[in-house]
Amino acid sequence: MAENSGTDPAVETNTEENAAASATIIKVTVKTPKDKEEIAIAEDSSVSQFKEEISKRFKAKQDQLVLIFAGKILKDGDTLGQHGIKDGLTVHLVIKTLQQQMQRQLMSNPEMLSQIMENPLVQSMMSNPDLMRQMIVANPQMQQLMERNPEISHMLNNPELMRQTMELARNPAMMQEMMRNQDRALSNLESIPGGYNALRRMYTDIQEPMFSAAREQFGNNPFSALGGNTDNSGVQPSRTENREPLPNPWGPPDASAATTTTTSGTATTTSSTTSSTTPSVSNPLGISSSSLGNGMFNSPGMQSLMQQISENPQLMQNMLSAPYMRTMMQSLSQNPDIASQVFTNNPLFAGNPQLQEQMRQQLPVFLQQMQNPESLSVMTNPRAMRALMQIQEGLQTLQTEAPGLMPSLIPGGMAAGIPGAPLPTGVNVTPENPPPSGPQQLMQQMLQMFAGGNALTQTPEVRFQQQLEQLSAMGFINREANLQALIATGGDINAAIERLLGSQPS
Amino acid sequence: MRRLFTVGASPLLSNKMAAAAGSGVKVPRNFRLLEELEEGQKGVGDGTVSWGLEDDEDMTLTRWRGMIIGPPRTIYENRMYSLRVECGPRYPETPPFVRFVTKINLNGVHNSNGVVDMRAVSSLAKWQNSYSIRVVLQELRRLMMCKENMKLPQPPEGQIFSN
Repeated sequence: MAENSGTDPAVETNTEENAAASATIIKVTVKTPKDKEEIAIAEDSSVSQFKEEISKRFKAKQDQLVLIFAGKILKDGDTLGQHGIKDGLTVHLVIKTLQQQMQRQLMSNPEMLSQIMENPLVQSMMSNPDLMRQMIVANPQMQQLMERNPEISHMLNNPELMRQTMELARNPAMMQEMMRNQDRALSNLESIPGGYNALRRMYTDIQEPMFSAAREQFGNNPFSALGGNTDNSGVQPSRTENREPLPNPWGPPDASAATTTTTSGTATTTSSTTSSTTPSVSNPLGISSSSLGNGMFNSPGMQSLMQQISENPQLMQNMLSAPYMRTMMQSLSQNPDIASQVFTNNPLFAGNPQLQEQMRQQLPVFLQQMQNPESLSVMTNPRAMRALMQIQEGLQTLQTEAPGLMPSLIPGGMAAGIPGAPLPTGVNVTPENPPPSGPQQLMQQMLQMFAGGNALTQTPEVRFQQQLEQLSAMGFINREANLQALIATGGDINAAIERLLGSQPS
Repeated sequence: MRRLFTVGASPLLSNKMAAAAGSGVKVPRNFRLLEELEEGQKGVGDGTVSWGLEDDEDMTLTRWRGMIIGPPRTIYENRMYSLRVECGPRYPETPPFVRFVTKINLNGVHNSNGVVDMRAVSSLAKWQNSYSIRVVLQELRRLMMCKENMKLPQPPEGQIFSN
């Protein structure tokens, strides 16, 4: 029989590492639903020390780990001994993925939520029913739903209703009130013979698909993690109290089974309305404040998302290909006001008013570029992205090394959020800068080609020459204002006219 | 106190119990529960449920804690549900009392206090004395995977039943 003169290497290294600990080393099996590992650890270790070891072995961050032993969750401050963890026993491990983490953080942080809601940007976004409607309608599942249930499209087309919904979403207190009223109304309804069945039928026909649509829409999209709102449909057929769809939401609140008020959830859900929204009369699509708020660019969650995006090109790809993103871009491009607000409020640009100015001017072009399928495919191609980043870095280096050479280049910070596309746009701010010489010109032209923007070699004045003439022929004599309007609308005369008219005092 | 429940005691017990079960003899409650305790500590099963005594000093082996990890591809995914299980004096002839501590929306679980109605859970409705705490937890987890439950909207994480 071999002698154990050389002790277990594992034990040895551990005793070396845990020299301070009195170290009876025990071997504990750590089991996840997928695999298991045996980990040697000092018997008197704390749970957080144990987690350290585990995080190395399982290649996960320590705060992503949740340990369970004998039906209890092990807290970092506890010791293994406290829980009776001994040699040969098994501890269960759950690794929390990023999405869940974000979800949890957000849900546990109502202040963050209210901060987001109070953000004027969010509010302005929500007070624009057209924008909201566009976003909702663009979702293919919603479209399906609308085909099946024309009432829903009526609902969406009713600006009054949308506005009210937005109001509600903005104001959680008001929402709770509404829900309570509806709970009561519905329970009254139930007492009517046949009422319950009718309600139930309507639920299964309308609400369920709507919710799965809504849920999937928000769920297939990294933004949903920010929203933390996978439960924005609060329904369950077998319970008697709840959730009816709304064929005719603003129909008279009479007791007829056909026109019914929708309800919110049970007490459970009402108490958690800030984070999960059940649809109600005035909030037909269960638009939750959190998910809306989190569609915005300047929540802290978004920032960490941005960080991750730069670390993970795949994520960027996913994000861009999400249909939701695309529709948002579309709506943004059709609404230059909001888009400019979005960008100016973005903390990336916040510290740099000069940048903001430039962005604002370039905005319509930028947005067009985002729409351009070519640039989109560039963005989703990780190699292309990497190349773009390299170019950008190169330019940055050049700028620091030879500042005199490239006065017209925008600092790399501009492109931090969405590398590539803004860079060519940025470079095209030629009108404001001294005319480039030689190599600069070459560079710029290269970049312009990149951008696929062909109209950008000239100043806006030149570009919009024709439109300016038309406008002045129509009677808009303020050339400055005309130019601004044209720039903002990217040369679209009709939109420019609307802008000009809108800005005139009535 | 704790020594009594350590792993060492078990091989003898499980042999006895296997023999007893085979011959149709009713297994004494405490032996059975000790074995379940050991299984809980050793992580018998697939790692998706866990159970153990609520209090290590509980000599009556009555109050237990369970944990269910929500099954993937359901709305319960990756959530952890804590439960309380009470094995009465006539366990395992009679089923234990089970209730969820973590809030959950699941058919068969009372919305107000988390109490599990065993009769409403088809796999547990006809209790056998061969069933155990592990079986209860595993069946409840399987219940979460049923079509009628897997998409039920859930309360936000971290809430518990107040009762």
